Amino acid sequence: MTKVNRNSYFYRNWPYYAMLVLPLAYFITFKYLPIYGVTVAFKEYNVFKGIGASEWVGLDVFKHIFSMESFYTALRNTFLLNGLDLIVGFPAPIVLALLLNEARFALFKRISQTMLYLPHFISWVIIGGMVYQVFATNYGVLNLLFAQVGLGPFPFLSDKNHWLVTYVSVGVWQSAGWGSIIYLAAMTGINRELYEAADVDGASRLRRIWHITLPGIRTTIIVLLILKIGDMADIGFDRPYIIGNVMVREYSDVLSTFIYRIGLQSGQFSNATAVGLFQAVVGLVFILSANYISKKTTDESIL
Amino acid sequence: MVRRSRFTLADGMIVGVISVCVIACLAPFLHIAAVSLSSSGPITSGKVTLYPVGLSFDAYTRVLSDLAMLRSLGFTVLLTAAFTALAMLMTTMAAYPLSKADLKGRSVFMYVIVFTMFFSGGLIPEYLLIKELNLLDKAAVLVLPGLISPFYMIIMITFFRSTIPASLHEAAEIDGCGKFGILLRIVLPLSLPVLATLSLFYAVGRWNGFRDALFYISNQNLYPLQLKLYQMVMNNLISEVTLAEGAAVKELIPESLKAASIMFATLPILIVYPWLQRYFVSGLTLGSVKG
Amino acid sequence: MNMKALRKSGVSMIVLALTAGLTFGCSGGGNNGATPAGSAKTAGEATGTQSNAPKERVKLRVEVFDRGNAPDGISITNSQMTQYVQKNFGDPNNIDVEFVPVPRSEEINQLNVLMAAGTAPDVIFTYNTGAAYNWAKQGGLMDLTEVLDQNGPNLKRYLESSLKYGVFEGKQYSIVARRVNLQKYSSFIRQDWLDAVGLPIPTTTEETYEALKAFKEKNLGGKRTIPLGFALAPDSYEPIIWSFIKEQSDEDRYLKSVTIGSREYPILADGHKDGMRFLNKLYQEGLLDPDFALDKDKKKKDENFVNGYTGLYSADTGTTFGGEASVANTLEKNVSGAQIVPFLPWTDFEGKNRQPAYTPSGMHIMVPSFSERAVEAIKYLDWMAQDEVIRYMAFGEEGVHHELVEGYPVRNGSDEDTRLLFNTGDVLIITNGIDFGSIDKNVEFMALGVSDNHREMAKTSRIYADKDAVQQPIQFDKPLDSEAKHSVIMLEKYEELLVKSTMAKPADFDKVYDAALKDFLDTAGNEVIAERTVAYEAMKK
Repeated sequence: MTKVNRNSYFYRNWPYYAMLVLPLAYFITFKYLPIYGVTVAFKEYNVFKGIGASEWVGLDVFKHIFSMESFYTALRNTFLLNGLDLIVGFPAPIVLALLLNEARFALFKRISQTMLYLPHFISWVIIGGMVYQVFATNYGVLNLLFAQVGLGPFPFLSDKNHWLVTYVSVGVWQSAGWGSIIYLAAMTGINRELYEAADVDGASRLRRIWHITLPGIRTTIIVLLILKIGDMADIGFDRPYIIGNVMVREYSDVLSTFIYRIGLQSGQFSNATAVGLFQAVVGLVFILSANYISKKTTDESIL
Repeated sequence: MVRRSRFTLADGMIVGVISVCVIACLAPFLHIAAVSLSSSGPITSGKVTLYPVGLSFDAYTRVLSDLAMLRSLGFTVLLTAAFTALAMLMTTMAAYPLSKADLKGRSVFMYVIVFTMFFSGGLIPEYLLIKELNLLDKAAVLVLPGLISPFYMIIMITFFRSTIPASLHEAAEIDGCGKFGILLRIVLPLSLPVLATLSLFYAVGRWNGFRDALFYISNQNLYPLQLKLYQMVMNNLISEVTLAEGAAVKELIPESLKAASIMFATLPILIVYPWLQRYFVSGLTLGSVKG
Repeated sequence: MNMKALRKSGVSMIVLALTAGLTFGCSGGGNNGATPAGSAKTAGEATGTQSNAPKERVKLRVEVFDRGNAPDGISITNSQMTQYVQKNFGDPNNIDVEFVPVPRSEEINQLNVLMAAGTAPDVIFTYNTGAAYNWAKQGGLMDLTEVLDQNGPNLKRYLESSLKYGVFEGKQYSIVARRVNLQKYSSFIRQDWLDAVGLPIPTTTEETYEALKAFKEKNLGGKRTIPLGFALAPDSYEPIIWSFIKEQSDEDRYLKSVTIGSREYPILADGHKDGMRFLNKLYQEGLLDPDFALDKDKKKKDENFVNGYTGLYSADTGTTFGGEASVANTLEKNVSGAQIVPFLPWTDFEGKNRQPAYTPSGMHIMVPSFSERAVEAIKYLDWMAQDEVIRYMAFGEEGVHHELVEGYPVRNGSDEDTRLLFNTGDVLIITNGIDFGSIDKNVEFMALGVSDNHREMAKTSRIYADKDAVQQPIQFDKPLDSEAKHSVIMLEKYEELLVKSTMAKPADFDKVYDAALKDFLDTAGNEVIAERTVAYEAMKK
């Protein structure tokens, strides 16, 4: 009986599995075949002996990393900066998308959209130079403007707390426009008739947004949120390194700069791999947790 | 769309806020465009703000008169197109089955794929693999390794699930439509927004990406444009190390070229995106399923 | 935000790639018995193929930096230069010379990858001493002592001053190219400002200080007068700090300094704290740019200078003058009447102008231990070390690629010139700069590369940069593990020490300096000093 049923299931659904063949082949080939590289975190890596023949040292590398005080600072800062990004930087593209969706003139909308994602294309090196010009304590554009109205110079870059604001703001500036694209795309999937019905009912703009638009993109928001939470232990190198400076190192030193410091220049490949592995494990735990919580509370999940 | 024809205060505020954001995004970009068109004296002096000072097309003539650059430009266009098409094909082939909540084994597949978002082998194992597969120095190496992004795949899955009601599937099946048919004739046409979005993301990623070419390709004819520009800029920075190289570095690449590289990165997208925007229109037959 | 996905695999790749940079697997593991295989090979081959061309044609693969600047139609693997090499070295010796491009910006990563894959060229090179030593320790480099003796007479002669920098624990692991011009830093002052305050060109630290104060009082640069142009970069702080260091014997330098990258930092030496105290004084009195700590790439310092806000400007030698776009020319264009003059601002406790200079070591040229072409490699470098070859590779043919100006070859910038010599420095690897026989001649030659109006000043500034200059860093008989391991940390902590001490309130200076110094020592300094002490003792024997 079971045999017949199973045959029946696969007979009915084989196209799905057929479609999956190539993608899975891709993942196995390009992602899983090289994955033995993570073992470097457990070895004393010698580039000439190769990964296989390098000496196994078990958890020594991890013990060494975990004994460094700077590791914990970097870890704390990673969560700090990513947390701030989550609170401010995650809603920003959504708000932007909502605003654009509500804007009246189609031409204005299209042009604005195009302008808003421009920062995404500017390389961080250039952004670094501009950040200095704008935020420098004594002669930065912003502080010069503030001086005109009598407001004292703000240490946007030289005081670690102000720097947090600068860091997050630059991040929002750089990514909100590009990030809004996907929400806007999601919004096109909302049934127009719902809006028409709301208009007929005389709903205010806010009610419209709250009861139609947001629920309409709810799934997208939740999925992207879960993915973002999975990224909490991971942080880019560019933004903290380029916007950071000597005076704010207490907050600007994150896991990526930590790896750069103990990995690249110091040639400790195993160290760097170990930290990377740590980040991966933490990230996986986060995303699984977020997924689980989401499934229970909102019935949305990715796994 | 039926909306109140009166332009309200709220409308004004919305336009206002958006405009401020636009200015904040546009101004730096204009600055960079200006730098790319200025001569180095004013640039070093910091005199260039939003318009060129000492107008000079040097950076552009330099790039565009270099036949190798132009060839690279052409190559990159083809590469991006081919890559985007293949990536979208593969991603769709993965996303559609996985969007079926009742697919047996779905969980396993998802875990397998999501796992790769976190764990990877690293540069050397990946290089050795490419070498084994005989892909070194071949155009295919710029296409194959990045073919499916799990992140984008998940987005596509989400879209399929949330915007295509199951009732539509059932109706089509009853009508005798095969699984492939459903995908091609119903799901995809309704998914134009997400397809357009992800195509854009893949294309931009490929257009601007060059780290893979840096390691896997030594044949200069196969360099993506951004790589050639990046090399020109980074390899010629006067830094302490290059000072140590003394006689080796004869020429300073001006700031304007750095800025021009950004223009080359952005302009194609600026041109393509408005054209893509028309796909961001609501799906045609969503209203066809009531209740 | 959405690009992160695509970049993600890239990011992990990059992160791990970045860390593939230097592979130091051997914390405490010591030497892997570096070259028994290597020496056996070299001995065997050297005796067999010493004099004439071997019977069979072999291939020699040589690394070349790819800077993405090859003129159209020419590739760095097949150009006039490579053909010249093939014709004049390859063919007579029955060798096919193949050039392997490596992108300059990713050289360490690329080399590591090629080493791991076993496809590294026979001749590899890098400026990164730590990386070179790392590979040697891991058993990846061939010991070239014997091959060099038997096949490299020209090379040994030409590189007499630099070869010793490639000897690690008695074995010649790398052929170190020769750096010809050793001048490191130059300082300039606004002559027109001096005239305005009626002061002569300062010749001591005190006089310089007085001049800076006078500049500030009169606000000669307008509201944003910056008497001393200063950025968070070695060319700003090294000249000042070093002028405060008292009496330093070799032993002092070994035991009280650390080497960070290729610079010597006299952090425990007598006078170091005084130097920082001086910087603190300058900062407090508004003689430095208040935002100096943000200026990591020196762009702001240059910008202030060319806009005429700066009184005293110091920079790496050879970067101030040049063509039309040089900072000196830009300044003169922007500010009418602006005139700079080279000078020596800082005097030490003896009244001398003690300042850093480069050691004659350029890049490390190495042969991987699995290469079978060590003999051919040394022969190639030896051939390159001949005067005619150096001359041709650097300047080409007279009349075609260069003209003789005052007896010195000056490239004429023509198409021909570019086609042959666009990457001369990356092919002519055994030398960094061309030696015309004496320092004076070399200075003359270097000055010919700048615009006419600044030629004399360029010469003078080079001569000044040599005065009382001390070659740094002081060398041990091998690079130190801890220094390579902590190079980034040490630099970061030193910068913190500098910034915090400079910007502290005068009353807090001692406290802040001592705390930051302790931080430096605790995180890395003590370990490094300890290793230096041990190495020094070992060397003394």
